[in-house]
Amino acid sequence: MVLILALPPAALSGQQAQSTSSPSSRYQAPVISDTGDLKGPRQPIFFRHDVHAGEDQIPCMYCHYSAAVSSEPGIPSLQTCIGCHQVVGGGSRRGLKGDTTAARAERAQVQLLRNAWRERQPPEWIRVHALPGFVRFPHMRHIKGLSTRQGVEANATCATCHGDVKHMTQVEQVSTLRMGWCVHCHMQNTVTRDCSVCHY
Amino acid sequence: MTDSIDRRRFLKVLGVTSAGAAAVSACGIGPEPTERLIPYLVQPEDQIPGTATYYATTCRECAAGCGVRVRVREGRAVKLEGNPDSPINRGRLCARGQAALQGLYNPDRIAHPMVRNASGKFEDIDWDGALQRVTAKVREAQGKGIVFLTGAEQSTFGDLVDEWMKQVGGRRMSYEAFGFEALRAGNRMAFGTATLPTYDFANAKYVLSFGADFLDTWLSPVEFQNGFSRAHAFDAGRPASMAKFTYVGPRLSLTGMNADEWIAPKPGSEGLLALAMAQVIMSQHLARVPADASKLVSVLAAHTPRAVAQVIGIDEATIARLAREFARSGGGLAVAGGMATQAANGAEIVAAVNILNYVVGAVGTLVKFGADLGVGATNTFADLATLTSEMTNGRVALLFVYGTNPAHSLPGAFQQALGKVAFKVSFSSYMDETAAACDLILPDHHPLEQWGDSRPRAGVIGLQQPVVQPVFGTQPTGDVILKLSGRTGTFQDYLQAKWRARHGANFDQYWMDSLAKGGVYGEAPTRPVRLATTAGNFSTTFAEVPSWGGDGDQTVVVFPHPALHDGRGANKPWLQELPDPVSKIAWHSWVEVHPDTAAKWGLATGDFLLLQSKFGGQKFPAWITPSVRPDVLAVPTGQGHSAYGRYAKDRSANAFELLGGQATVYGGRSFIVRATASKTGEHQRRIATIEGNARDLGMGTTEVLPLARAKALHPGDHPFHFEETPEYAKDAVEWWAERQHEKAELGNYKGEQPRWGLAIDLSKCTGCSACVTACYAENNIATVGEELTERRREMAWLRLERYWRVDEHDNLQGAVNQPMLCQQCGNAPCEPVCPVYAAYHTPDGLNGQVYNRCVGTRYCSNNCPYKVRYFNWYNYAEKDGKYEAFPEPLSMLLNPDVTVREKGVMEKCTFCVQRIRGAQNQARLENRNVRDGDIVTACQQTCPSDAIVFGDLNDRNSRVFELAGNPRGYHVLAGLNTKPAITYLARVVAQDTPGNG
Repeated sequence: MVLILALPPAALSGQQAQSTSSPSSRYQAPVISDTGDLKGPRQPIFFRHDVHAGEDQIPCMYCHYSAAVSSEPGIPSLQTCIGCHQVVGGGSRRGLKGDTTAARAERAQVQLLRNAWRERQPPEWIRVHALPGFVRFPHMRHIKGLSTRQGVEANATCATCHGDVKHMTQVEQVSTLRMGWCVHCHMQNTVTRDCSVCHY
Repeated sequence: MTDSIDRRRFLKVLGVTSAGAAAVSACGIGPEPTERLIPYLVQPEDQIPGTATYYATTCRECAAGCGVRVRVREGRAVKLEGNPDSPINRGRLCARGQAALQGLYNPDRIAHPMVRNASGKFEDIDWDGALQRVTAKVREAQGKGIVFLTGAEQSTFGDLVDEWMKQVGGRRMSYEAFGFEALRAGNRMAFGTATLPTYDFANAKYVLSFGADFLDTWLSPVEFQNGFSRAHAFDAGRPASMAKFTYVGPRLSLTGMNADEWIAPKPGSEGLLALAMAQVIMSQHLARVPADASKLVSVLAAHTPRAVAQVIGIDEATIARLAREFARSGGGLAVAGGMATQAANGAEIVAAVNILNYVVGAVGTLVKFGADLGVGATNTFADLATLTSEMTNGRVALLFVYGTNPAHSLPGAFQQALGKVAFKVSFSSYMDETAAACDLILPDHHPLEQWGDSRPRAGVIGLQQPVVQPVFGTQPTGDVILKLSGRTGTFQDYLQAKWRARHGANFDQYWMDSLAKGGVYGEAPTRPVRLATTAGNFSTTFAEVPSWGGDGDQTVVVFPHPALHDGRGANKPWLQELPDPVSKIAWHSWVEVHPDTAAKWGLATGDFLLLQSKFGGQKFPAWITPSVRPDVLAVPTGQGHSAYGRYAKDRSANAFELLGGQATVYGGRSFIVRATASKTGEHQRRIATIEGNARDLGMGTTEVLPLARAKALHPGDHPFHFEETPEYAKDAVEWWAERQHEKAELGNYKGEQPRWGLAIDLSKCTGCSACVTACYAENNIATVGEELTERRREMAWLRLERYWRVDEHDNLQGAVNQPMLCQQCGNAPCEPVCPVYAAYHTPDGLNGQVYNRCVGTRYCSNNCPYKVRYFNWYNYAEKDGKYEAFPEPLSMLLNPDVTVREKGVMEKCTFCVQRIRGAQNQARLENRNVRDGDIVTACQQTCPSDAIVFGDLNDRNSRVFELAGNPRGYHVLAGLNTKPAITYLARVVAQDTPGNG
């Protein structure tokens, strides 16, 4: 088994930018005892973006590695998950104390992942952000355009449409993803509103 | 009454319920979250989601061995494109090559091994069980005759079969329905070598074809088309010139209709014409004749134009003129082949044409021996006839069939003989006629799923690599044979070992380079040939037109269908729906009848004719056309399958049924037979043709220039008359133009924008229709089937319109082909009539079509003068729907960058807008502008003759800008003031006053 720990250049620079904040000011993902109140669809594995992207500050494009170079952001392969979770068993992050129910629950979720890897059965994630078949949304163009315009690093642009995923315990859709919403942004940024840019 | 629930209230309740459900799951916005995202276990290294990866491999649809690049998206092969590194096809591909994908994802593929059970039905069997059976049968049959029959297979796989057959005491044979026996025998007769040379069309200054259909089915069509269009196109860039092309043959094929002049001698007399021309050239010293040709003087003396004119039906003066033109061009190239020469005296016709080439010095310069085309090494038809009789006499106990379907192309004799073979094994991945008659089927991987190579000619080895995971539970036959012969390892290992033996040093690098390039591309040295002593030994019967033997008063020519070929293309809906380039008929077969003959018989297009030869009878609907000699009937092969899947089975008639199984003196098959023709009284309401369709304008939208006039053109000339805006309309047009101008200053339309345009050179276009199939593949165009094609509901965004070209005596001389597609008008009639703004003008000058806005009024189509808009009458993507176009797994080849349209939506050519946007995205990522040549439309990419050029008309340095300003350029229906973005360059014809025999 090869441990994949090398970061793509874009992701690396993102991590460096973020690691300047002091450890004390670091976001700490909450301990969840009841998932019933959480928004967004329930996923086959209780994968927490607030732990990975928020608390551990893993840049978005470490996993969604093709977002800045391709139209599709890419769903990470199981190999990417297991690259860390071979070693990281879960349930030992700062907010969790010892062998509590919460810690065991988190470990159980990592175990689900390991089982999936062992049985070569990838989990079937529920799609949160879906566009109709007649719409093209090139991720790379938006990341490039937003980061240039806002003068921020590529990983910081995702939230524009996907919301504050870093602090979402369970990912939900916050933007309507309807055409009016798209066009509104295109107007504000004075970029093209030609139909054939998205519809073909 | 109070309990009743009205419709309005019912909907209200329903609304609340669904909103509640949504609130639980996804805040009530957007689509229901039911889509699943299944991640990879391990991400493939070389694939980025949403971005295509290209793999080089080799096309195996025919023996030409073109290199292809396969576009793979998320593990699916979605498009084939020519490999620019390949010296054969130079990055181009034909319609058949494009359609290889539909072989890969064919819904009628055999998914796992099958065995015939006691009751004669096929049942599934596992691979181990199947292999055990074969092993037992091989042991049983040893010494009793084992034969392994392949198609043209010059490859490492073929070598493996040879080794295995040696091991078990069997032998391998190869069979192609359209072999080149006459060509081989004719070369042996003239030059003492039975090999096949290459032909340098690109450097010819005069092309003369004696029935050789080198643009569609003869030897290496893409290569020849590319070369031919270089020679034959009129290029104003250099000193204007073009090679004249004269076609000699009883009917106009796709190749023939590109001729500048058509000579139609009596079938079978072509050789006499060639000899008479050679006689004129020698006696009048028109060319620098090689010294050893003098020994032909006495033979040629018997073939003066005067002596043969009567027999071949061409007058003396024409023969002499052709000889002069051919010799004086200083680069005459004559080719012979095709069905017209595949009859009793075929070899002699080829030998005669060889002599003609020899006396003008074309042999060694334009006809180059040494390449030894691989297809020339297949067994002859005579060998197959021998095999058939051996099978009939029980001398073959075990037969393996791979990559060929003789039960279809030899329906009588071979099919019966198959029954006499104790055990038959097929490796076919489709239930074709031969597989259906076998006892065991071990389905092979598709060539796109497996390792392999092919040696189409000396010096060139095309490498073949798996580009996708296997779609079904098939196994590569190479692996199977290795297992059967008791060896370890896979065929991939075997292939690599063979390559390593050829190239030991630094092999890994060599292998990787070859994989990336698609093969090893070298050129074999030209081998000089001299006239053989047999060169002039023409038989006594050669001086007469053959009687073809048999009864019947009609001469019937059976010719290969350009797309379906010997029938192997019939299971691919793209090829079925592709109208034949000449007849424009799709989905069924036909018989070509001259109008004079039809008038005599009282025959209308669509009436069925029963053709009865002494070998068999078949019914075909008549297509009445001036493109065939009055004393000849012509029928294509390809249809009439009794098996071979849903698209091929029980469709029209099999023309092979008319042919005999006897070999000719030179070991070939005769494709000309005598037959009787009788009307059956049946009539097909409409034959599925797009000729004469309301879409096919027939308004003379093509422009033709005689060579002399084209040469005299200067930049800025406008040789074509088009209707001026009438006086009364001028005010209105000006007013409209001003309003348009004002609008062009608003919003997105402000500032500098590209204007995408296309230039199509009709002098290069041959009508081969590769672009049509490429367009289907790129743009997810639905095939609608025979019934809807008859009802004019085909969806071809790009169609080829074929217009006959006649001389001043009204004699047919050929055709002009015009690709017709959305003209992306600057002043589009479709746009203002759309009530919902689905048809609109984009800032970059396209006529946009927004599918999700379209409500299907079809006003735009009514208002389109070019008739290039297509309406979805049904939901062709509907699973299990009546007109489903993409049944599983055919849907896997859908291009993910293009919307699959639904019922009720209008669609049309988009100029491959997905490719435009893709190139723009890429350029933006690289902080640059789109460069000329970045965007290549699918039609342009595949065009073997480089007739189509795409680019920005507002870029003064672009190729398309230059071509749009060419004096040969014109717009179709320019008088309508539509301002199209497509510039057609007029066809130039090399002969001002052709005479016809």
